[in-house]
Amino acid sequence: MNSLLTIRRIVVAGLLGAITILLGATRAGFIPVPTPLGDATIMHIPVIIGGILDGWLVGAILGLFFGIFSFIHATIPMFKDPLVVFLPRILIGITTALTYRGLRRSNEVVAVIVATVVGTLTNTVGVLGIGVLRRYLPLPAAVGFGVAAAIPETILAAIIVVAVVLAWRGVAARRRTADL
Amino acid sequence: MESFEVFRHVTIGQYLPGESLVHRLDPRAKITVVLLLIAAVTFSTSYTAHLALLALTLGLIALANLPVRYIVSGVRPALPFILLLALMQLFVYGEAAASAVRGSAVLWQWGVLRVTAGSLRLTLVSLARLLELLLLVSLLTNATPTTSLTYGIESMLRPFARLGLPAHELSLIGTIALRFVPVLGEQFETILKAQASRGANLRFGGRLQFVRSAQQMVVLLVPLFLNALLRAEDLILAMEARCYGGGRGRSHYVRLRLRAPDYVAMALALVFTAAVLAARNALP
Repeated sequence: MNSLLTIRRIVVAGLLGAITILLGATRAGFIPVPTPLGDATIMHIPVIIGGILDGWLVGAILGLFFGIFSFIHATIPMFKDPLVVFLPRILIGITTALTYRGLRRSNEVVAVIVATVVGTLTNTVGVLGIGVLRRYLPLPAAVGFGVAAAIPETILAAIIVVAVVLAWRGVAARRRTADL
Repeated sequence: MESFEVFRHVTIGQYLPGESLVHRLDPRAKITVVLLLIAAVTFSTSYTAHLALLALTLGLIALANLPVRYIVSGVRPALPFILLLALMQLFVYGEAAASAVRGSAVLWQWGVLRVTAGSLRLTLVSLARLLELLLLVSLLTNATPTTSLTYGIESMLRPFARLGLPAHELSLIGTIALRFVPVLGEQFETILKAQASRGANLRFGGRLQFVRSAQQMVVLLVPLFLNALLRAEDLILAMEARCYGGGRGRSHYVRLRLRAPDYVAMALALVFTAAVLAARNALP
């Protein structure tokens, strides 16, 4: 049995991956102002949750899923570039997990929120940044899109991630003390 | 409220069954061919190369009996953005693209806006790349059942298992994910109906935006995630109870075998890609 990829990590990554695929396939969009990042708006959330609950490897794998989905369903030139699509997404999981791990000792809720913000920004800044570097977007446009997209994305992600993580901690604790 | 049937619109790179030559190839061969061609597409900047690549990808789609119109129709909703970004690339990147993409000749200028041969190339090549990648990915996903794809990927990653890459575990993640998409989809619909029946404010705005506010999303997503995590716990327990031991020493029921057409396809793709990349700077 692989010591890094335990059964728990495999299954959680699989299930959260299923949510990622579901969100991507049903195109659940949110931002009223349609930006080219339309399909990134909530698909980063499973990645962040995976990173927080089960570590950087699960986060990175979910980021890969996010990337694959983005790649397949993208119809904009910039999103067909593997570097733009995969690198930041894989980093989302890693930065989120590391941030959470680092801050967890001081305050659980704060750690979750900050980790979520870091994760969302990794996505937005990463994707747009590499887009600019690879010359798909001029810098001012990237900054404009970035600000317009990042703010609602971050707030929404923070709300959902905190709700899910805290609820799950409660549920998981109750399950462990359940009778057998 | 338009419809509760979210699931109707779910297509995961929809498999379109068929008996064409492409459908019958080993998934590993198809993945290899597509990866090679993606490399060729991503790294070429010449007009000639992209004309050849466009011809090749369209030819492959025809060979697979896939409907080109269906594939390309996915682009339609995003057309305004594509045009907007293309125009931005065209006019704003004059200077920057000049040295990077071969062409500093200024073709047209009006105030701050400037079109150079370089930015023109950049724009056209980006558009060509878009089409080619769309066709290539469709070629893979529309002509190969998803389970075959996961077996193929696992098989291809297996040699790396010796170097420590958990090939089996990774493809199991993919298989679990695909397996649970319909289950979670149904769950999502149930949640939608349950919340609506409890008076949640859900306004549907058509296919692309069926919820409008953060609050609406929260009441749908949080139960969905919790449900998924609960199912995960059950699955973990089930696997442990059956002494699941990972990929080491595991034999397989489904065996993939490479045959002559597979080798031919891969060889041709390799030659083509090598030629395109080698002649990168020699062609216009």
